[in-house]
Amino acid sequence: MKKTVLLLMLTLTVALAAGLLAGCGGTSETTATTAATSDTTVAPGESTTTAAEAAAADTFTYAQGADPRGLDPALVDDGESAKIIVNVYEGLLKYADDSTAVEPSLAESWEISDDGLSYTFKLRQGVKFHDGTDFNAEAVKFNIDRQLPPQVTPDMGYAGFVFGSVKDVVVDDDYTVTINLTQKNTAFLANLAMCLAAPIVSPKALTDGNNSVMEAPVGTGPYKFVKWSKGENVVLERNDDYWGEKAKTKNVIFRFISDNSARVLALNNDEVDMIDGIDATVVNQITQGGDKLFQAEGMNVNYMAYNTTTEMFKDQAARVAFSQAINREELVTSLYQGYSDMAETILPTFVPGYDATVKQVAYDVEKAKAGLAAAGITKVHMITYTNPRPYNAATGVALATAIQGYLQKVGVECTIDTFDWTTYKEKVKAGDYDICFYGWIGDNGDPDNFMNLLADPDPSMNVARWQDETYIADIKTALAIPNGAERDAKYGEMEKYVAERAIWLPISHAQSLAGYRAEVSGFIYHVTGTVFLSKAVVAK
Amino acid sequence: MSKWDSPVAPGTPPEPASEGLVADETMALGELLPDGSIPEFDETLHEKPENQWLEMWRSLKANRAALVSLIFIAFLALLAVIGPYITPYNPIETNMANALKPPSAQHWFGTDQLGMDIFSRVIAGTRVSLTVGLLAVSIALTVGIILGAVAGYAGGWVDTVIMRVMDMMLSVPSILLAITLMAALGKGIDKAVVAIGLVSIPEYARIVRGSILSIKENDYVAAAHVVGLSDSRIILRHVLPNALSVIIVRATLGISSAVLDTAALGFLGLGVQPPQAEWGDMLGRARGFIFQAPHTLLFPGMAITATVLAFNLLGDGLRDALDPKARIK
Repeated sequence: MKKTVLLLMLTLTVALAAGLLAGCGGTSETTATTAATSDTTVAPGESTTTAAEAAAADTFTYAQGADPRGLDPALVDDGESAKIIVNVYEGLLKYADDSTAVEPSLAESWEISDDGLSYTFKLRQGVKFHDGTDFNAEAVKFNIDRQLPPQVTPDMGYAGFVFGSVKDVVVDDDYTVTINLTQKNTAFLANLAMCLAAPIVSPKALTDGNNSVMEAPVGTGPYKFVKWSKGENVVLERNDDYWGEKAKTKNVIFRFISDNSARVLALNNDEVDMIDGIDATVVNQITQGGDKLFQAEGMNVNYMAYNTTTEMFKDQAARVAFSQAINREELVTSLYQGYSDMAETILPTFVPGYDATVKQVAYDVEKAKAGLAAAGITKVHMITYTNPRPYNAATGVALATAIQGYLQKVGVECTIDTFDWTTYKEKVKAGDYDICFYGWIGDNGDPDNFMNLLADPDPSMNVARWQDETYIADIKTALAIPNGAERDAKYGEMEKYVAERAIWLPISHAQSLAGYRAEVSGFIYHVTGTVFLSKAVVAK
Repeated sequence: MSKWDSPVAPGTPPEPASEGLVADETMALGELLPDGSIPEFDETLHEKPENQWLEMWRSLKANRAALVSLIFIAFLALLAVIGPYITPYNPIETNMANALKPPSAQHWFGTDQLGMDIFSRVIAGTRVSLTVGLLAVSIALTVGIILGAVAGYAGGWVDTVIMRVMDMMLSVPSILLAITLMAALGKGIDKAVVAIGLVSIPEYARIVRGSILSIKENDYVAAAHVVGLSDSRIILRHVLPNALSVIIVRATLGISSAVLDTAALGFLGLGVQPPQAEWGDMLGRARGFIFQAPHTLLFPGMAITATVLAFNLLGDGLRDALDPKARIK
């Protein structure tokens, strides 16, 4: 008797321990079900009550991990907001569907003055905001002026980045507007296509409501806002007065399911049509559930940086030797299991200026041993972050531990201090490390956006703390060269310059992953990480 | 019945080591007593302690679960000592080309995300968990006994102040308190020991105070007072030894919860510095692989479970064995 009880207890405890501890970040089917029920009630009008069947035709449901912070493009800086914003608003320019080259949107054409300081835009006529007011040159001026001094407020996270080089905005006539810059900045065009700060908001909505745009966005996009139930969903509806090709699906619902596994379950149960924010560990679940995986190189870079102000790594030979000890190919394949591409350059392949001939320091254990011995390196202090990041799904700890493993093989002992992301950023700023791990998610798809990090005087951006006169001068020159082959070549040169000096060790470019139902087609998952749903359809 | 009639209370110090000390006291007592009681007193002293320990051991032996647990714990202790010398692989050696391999002849428990041998890591983790468990309990025990004994023995405002502080600590879930402490102290296994030790103080203080409240009413304590022994001497030599059984049981169970707390802190990434092996940390890092490579969770999970279960069963066995009424004959 006693034995049976004991056995039972043992079995139960094992199951519980594994289940409870492991499940901490794990499943919660209840969340999914509750959300599902409330969802049906919120779905606008229509007879969409019986999920899949009726919804298939006129509702597309997209599940993301969190609520947007807000829906005023000037006041938010997060990706969850951006995904909704790009479907409701438009900017003067937009990106090509598959790269970060710029194309006309609300502006039909543009001219750049010879001195490179004035940009004149011809605006599209007959475009109306969702509140019925006209889109015109005044609206453009209003939107940019609110993000320039003196009106700009500290909570406009991207105002400085996007409009920092703007001197003033002049309305030439109703549909012509000129933007004057204080300095040559070729990246400015790419800025105008961005999903944050650049989209044009209805001036009426901005002046009438007291910050109501944060809660109830009014743009010119293919979808208009219906309602936002905090913690549950945002409902959008087709803008039937849209100037361009009208949206294919009548309703779009962005649902918020914070738990990764719950989001996958919702997709597998056909409660939602598409999900994002997933990682490699759930890919099997998605494909086995009969759903499809979207996989594409992302606009980011995951890298290791040497602190070039330390005695140890001031020396280029020491940095090179350290890099030689690391088998990046094996590391990336094994750690990211095919969901990150090994980085040979800082720039992702689709960003203008990417140069395929650039190579980082090659893996060579023997040279590494000799080099490290010559530099007298036996102990290295690393700091890293404990959580997964968009560019590093495996967490900074796993990456640092793996690199520590390679160095151990060549006789270098690494101590790894780990911190949560918020604390980590402080530690990086403080600068007490030999090596740190960081990453960058591109903003505007311009090469300057990536390469400028190494010239930035702010050590919380330039974590290698590298200040090289030649490089800084090059960055300034390249920014002023107009888009084209000459500019691209300049960036290729700069990449080689940095790679030779082994300032960073670029590790990988994380892929964007999304799951979608087999019936879904037409969505545009852009390299900038936003999703355009106006052409998305759910078959049947 | 006068107090002097029965100087020997039922719970005379059971510890053989304290025999000599008790003899001192008997002499002091003897001088005060009218006559004839000394030989009788001595006799009890020689017989009772031996019997009690022997009976306890017999009772523990009869409890299969407790005995198996004891053997298992001895085995763990052995592993903790010699473990690092017998692991088939270096527990912190990575082998990226060989990551997430299922259990095989080369790697009995498989390999983790970085290709480290899980079997070696589980063995290496034994030392961490047991050390933290023992050290944390020692801290809690020492401080808890002192506070509890003082509170219980002194009574009055001292008691109120100490116990209300304990109550305050108890009102916060211990793991939460430990996490908060870790946040203040910083990361690291040494800090975890302190954090876990501190948060379990109130449990011991309460138990010790409770036992002391009942023990101090005994006649032999009053007798010790009368012969003029100091308070600290009475607490240490006459009161505490009688609360020993309760404390032993509590401490055994305490180790199990300390092991569990260590794992929890490790799971949250607050424990050892990577790449050191610790069970909770292994679980925490493997949790993303629950479907893909369940073995990465299974083995550290089993190690935690088995250890905690063993200490719990042993604690239960000891409680029965130390309680004359519940003893298995």
